[in-house]
Amino acid sequence: MSEIEQNRIFDTWLGQYKALLFKVVRAYAATAMDQDDLFQEIVIQVWHSIPTFRQQSSSSTWIYRIALNTALKWVGKERKHAAAQESLDSIPAILQETKVQVDERLTWLYEAIYQLDEIDRSITLLLLDGFSYKEMATIVGISESNVGVRINRIKKQLITKAKQQDHYGI
Amino acid sequence: MEFDELQKIWHSQTNEPLWVINEKALYKRILVKKAKASHITNFSELLVLIVYAGAGSLIAGLNYVKPKPNLMLYLMAAWMFATALYVLVSRIRRIKGSHAFDRSMLGELNYAVSMATYQVRFSQLMRWNIIPVGILSLWGVWRVDQSVWLVLGIVMVFILGYAGGGWEHRIYIAKKRELEALQRKLMIGL
Repeated sequence: MSEIEQNRIFDTWLGQYKALLFKVVRAYAATAMDQDDLFQEIVIQVWHSIPTFRQQSSSSTWIYRIALNTALKWVGKERKHAAAQESLDSIPAILQETKVQVDERLTWLYEAIYQLDEIDRSITLLLLDGFSYKEMATIVGISESNVGVRINRIKKQLITKAKQQDHYGI
Repeated sequence: MEFDELQKIWHSQTNEPLWVINEKALYKRILVKKAKASHITNFSELLVLIVYAGAGSLIAGLNYVKPKPNLMLYLMAAWMFATALYVLVSRIRRIKGSHAFDRSMLGELNYAVSMATYQVRFSQLMRWNIIPVGILSLWGVWRVDQSVWLVLGIVMVFILGYAGGGWEHRIYIAKKRELEALQRKLMIGL
């Protein structure tokens, strides 16, 4: 595959799936600097993965898989290491906030997701985006029954937290 | 709030992204990243290969042209070639093995753990390798030059090399443990 072709696919995917990438970034990185750093890591991995995409799954599944996997590995020392290693101060930030009025319940939901452990965060994103158990099992690499067990627990946790928040009027 | 409601809130963001991408900055960063793409394992393997093969050739060549060749120096050259060969074989096996993992999250994590295991083993072996190389060097120098200061200097260099190797090794162990913790979390489903 030529680099021009790779760049063309990359541009298409970036335009098509940026909302998906933002979700993953926001669920895994808390500060603006970290979000920027993680977003960069994910898009680089997506760019690298283009020649190996064999169309055995949909491109959204493929990108979700890469984004979640990159986020998972990025959590912890990798992030600190990468931040310390690169002197990119002179380059402007990649992500810029829009002026969209954000639903505060969505902000709460992201906070609740962020409080889950890093594996459960991945499954929660897939669940909220409507992936089937089978698709989730393929993306994550675990059995469907394991996915089911995790989802039951995650749902309980989220609903309990949501009910607690309801008391405070959110 | 029930789960269906959470899902509705979640979908509200799909049509109105909270961020925009500064594409110019993104491409600039990708180029920076591409330039730094030579992975640390690749770099350390190639460095060890070149250093050991180069030093082995140099020692063997210099010893060969000397009027009285030193057996210890031949042994050291042979040891260095053997190390370089071992690194080369390990590298080929590592690259071949990297295709055996699937692209699921668990598959990628398994690959990351196997790479970390390789780095731990590699750094440990290279650390231990300082000992025979040091002994052979000292033996060779002792037979040729009786200067105690030179011998002490060489001993210091090897001690520092061994300590530095230990520091590097501990970094790889910490990284491996972290990945294994993630792997366990994914596999046991707790």
